[in-house]
Amino acid sequence: MINIEIDGKLVETARGSTVMDAAHKAGVYIPHFCYHKKLSIAASCRMCLVEVEKAPKPLPACATPASDGMKVHTHSEMAVKAQKGVMEFLLINHPLDCPICDQGGECQLQDIAMGYGGGKSRYEEEKRAVVAKDVGVLISTNEMSRCIQCTRCVRFGQEIAGQMELGMINRSELAQITSFVNSTVNSELSGNMIDLCPVGALTSKPFRYTARAWELSRRKTVSPHDSVGANLAVHTKDNKVVRAVAVENEAVNECWISDKDRFSYEGLNSAERLTRPMIKQDSKWIEVEWAAALEYVANGLKQISRGAGAQHIASLATPHSTLEELYLLQKLMRGVGSSNVDFRLRQSDFSADGKQAGAPWLGMPIAELSNRDRYLVVGSFLRKDHPLLAQRIRQAVKAGASANVVHSADDDLLMPVANKAIVAPGDLVATLAQILIAVAVEKEVALSAELQKAVAGVKTSDTSVAIAKSMVSGKQGAVLLGNFAQQHPQAAQIALLAEQIAVLCEAKFGFLGEAANSVGGFVAGAVPFAGGVHGMNAAQMIESPRKAYLLLNVEPELDMQNPQAAISAMKAADMVVCLSAYKHNGMDYADVMLPIAPFTESSGTFVNTEGRVQSFKGAVKPLGDARPAWKVLRVLGNLLDVSGFNFDTSEAVRDEALSTGSMAEKLNNQIAAEIPLNLLLQRGEAQPGGLQRVADVPIYAADAVVRRATALQQTQDAAMPVATLHSSEMQKLGLSSGDSVKVTQGTGSVQLTVAADDKLPAGTMRVAAGHAATAALGAMFGTLIVERA
Amino acid sequence: MNTIKDFFKTFLLFELLKGMALTGRYMFARKITVQFPEEKTPQGFRFRGLHAQRRYESGEERCIGCKLCEAVCPALAIKIAVAEREDGTRRTTQYDIDLTKCIFCGFCEESCPVDAIVETRVFEYHGENRGDLYYTKPMLLAVGDKHEAQIARDRAADSKYR
Repeated sequence: MINIEIDGKLVETARGSTVMDAAHKAGVYIPHFCYHKKLSIAASCRMCLVEVEKAPKPLPACATPASDGMKVHTHSEMAVKAQKGVMEFLLINHPLDCPICDQGGECQLQDIAMGYGGGKSRYEEEKRAVVAKDVGVLISTNEMSRCIQCTRCVRFGQEIAGQMELGMINRSELAQITSFVNSTVNSELSGNMIDLCPVGALTSKPFRYTARAWELSRRKTVSPHDSVGANLAVHTKDNKVVRAVAVENEAVNECWISDKDRFSYEGLNSAERLTRPMIKQDSKWIEVEWAAALEYVANGLKQISRGAGAQHIASLATPHSTLEELYLLQKLMRGVGSSNVDFRLRQSDFSADGKQAGAPWLGMPIAELSNRDRYLVVGSFLRKDHPLLAQRIRQAVKAGASANVVHSADDDLLMPVANKAIVAPGDLVATLAQILIAVAVEKEVALSAELQKAVAGVKTSDTSVAIAKSMVSGKQGAVLLGNFAQQHPQAAQIALLAEQIAVLCEAKFGFLGEAANSVGGFVAGAVPFAGGVHGMNAAQMIESPRKAYLLLNVEPELDMQNPQAAISAMKAADMVVCLSAYKHNGMDYADVMLPIAPFTESSGTFVNTEGRVQSFKGAVKPLGDARPAWKVLRVLGNLLDVSGFNFDTSEAVRDEALSTGSMAEKLNNQIAAEIPLNLLLQRGEAQPGGLQRVADVPIYAADAVVRRATALQQTQDAAMPVATLHSSEMQKLGLSSGDSVKVTQGTGSVQLTVAADDKLPAGTMRVAAGHAATAALGAMFGTLIVERA
Repeated sequence: MNTIKDFFKTFLLFELLKGMALTGRYMFARKITVQFPEEKTPQGFRFRGLHAQRRYESGEERCIGCKLCEAVCPALAIKIAVAEREDGTRRTTQYDIDLTKCIFCGFCEESCPVDAIVETRVFEYHGENRGDLYYTKPMLLAVGDKHEAQIARDRAADSKYR
């Protein structure tokens, strides 16, 4: 530690830190544009010039290392003169079109010009103009003339997003920020560049000209999409959410949010919003009052309960529902005598149910994910499913960690991957078994007799040995299971093997939660095995169709593991009640549509993948007659005479849901070793003549809100699903890229365009799930039959 | 002593006569009452009357929808909605001034970066219904078109003081 004096204040700062760091510590503000604590130092704007005693010229605070005994003045005559001069230069080419600039009112350049500028320019010559570029549907660069060349966006792309999509060309007056020729900015984190831009050069396209900064009310909330639970501020105007920005929380999302968090708000104002309760009578939808609709639902459920029995009532909820909603749903179901409640809609293997020691979670705080030194990521479309967690791992890899991947698709993670085993879904378990054996060999420990028996006859490959060596060589490893691994038909086996690998490597073992409330669902008890009586899980409820379905936020053809079966189960049911914020395809078979409020219109709680309980309040009033789902369920509970349903606030519901034990006790990834190990190596194979399906849920198809976000739906990530397969498989089938094919799975088939992807393992075909174009297909894992259309 | 003085003053109607003398003086003085509407009082170039929206000589409306006037208006009389026009420029889709709320302080005029919203010398206007004094964008533009010559002269006269 060294001592340095800033404006007369003595501060202690770490050796090697900069004057800017020391100033932050001392609470002295030094104006700056290009400096950002999360980005590398460019020292290009020169706004942070300060006077350092014994230095002949002013020095940039962001790039000057602090040294012992240094005396810095930020308001001396020299510093002020330097700041004024720099400001005058910065404004030479700035168009000063603040009145029409979306950044006006929240602009760093405006603020600093007011605070540190001279007030008058001596420049009378012509200003430069920069031609606008089209960099995609999210970011507007229409006014690139406003750019002050701080290069924050460029550094963000290189350092945080992992791909350089914007860069600076030319020099001096001709210098300009541009994308590569004819390419757009496609990063799933690109929206952060809008936040980073200190001027109005990069602005949000969907927000363009919607409101001025001073008209907006800011409301803190939590992202309902991925399992990070990114902290957001939604900005509202006239009872409407008009944009979302990041709120800094170093332990969760640092200062970034993904584009899904940022631009999904458009889905909240979608024209598809359901605003009135509706009942289907004589196959016609009629709008009714809430009382009538709820009475209808209660009577229907009572009838089924009296007739066929309560176990004929099933309920499904998405993991994007709040803790309160999930808790009340399961309480309601158990109250009427049915334990058929589940939120794990895309899961297919439930053999670990009731054998887990607690709720599966990340296995460590999110912040710790940044400083592991070895990673083994199993079955995860990491970048698209968990953009912010991928970013953390990317930073760690940049700092020297090694990442290893076991997966069925080889998407670019935008980071160096040490070893990867890309195998067909059916070989995933065997590959993990290989790695386990190799790790045991490396560690020179013997596997337990049971495990040894189970993995007998498995031969290690070079890749698995390399992965094992990499994992063993680290001190602080992490073994992470992604969505694909959790949705896999042998998910329990995968988890068991991964856990063993983690134990042997002394690494942390964790699940990358699929959605905002994947942990919260377990905590709320919205799983069939939570109570005394075991009910049916999500798959069983579809396999053996029930008479009544209560769907919370669910769109069965898009949210379920097997949309084909789900739809036929719904169509066969006597009564389907949809609690939904949107009018959706469910209206074909539903009997009642109850309009519920999305996250911005309701209070609630999400428990993120590290078990952090984050509550939020509603930001705007519910649209039309929509009501928060917890209120709807509460009244439904009263109507069905279920006791203990007299909640007045969502906080009361939350407190009851969390009343038993601390969160730390509830989180546990261990699986009691009752999993039948003989199943371990049963290799999943495609039926003859078919290909194994590799199904991802595209980033902008994952939940109801984001599916209706218009700008996101125009991005590359939301393009029509294409069936991709290895070129050797294409040759076998006599297909070439661009051909139209008929893909059949089970009883349904869809028409898709085919494309080659040589990174996919042989014998597989990748067809996205969660998309209307592929909803006619069956389960996310299974056999696809391909024919030329 | 004073009591006696006051008694005589009151008794002889002194105060009344004093008052009548004042009235009498004004009866013969030069009259300054303006015979409105035949006569008009003179107005300064900063007179703050009815609002108008101005156009450039090309016919293009000046207003760019920056909403500074809406923000500065102390009476909350201005309501603006903005959207991108087909040519990519920022334009108002709604620009309303509720003249029944307006206190004619002139802040809107002062805050306008493009001299689009101005207050004219027009003060003789009326509405027969309450809503008549709710001026919308076309009405304001019409006022501007009608009085542009005068508005331009007044701005020119004021320019050296700004």
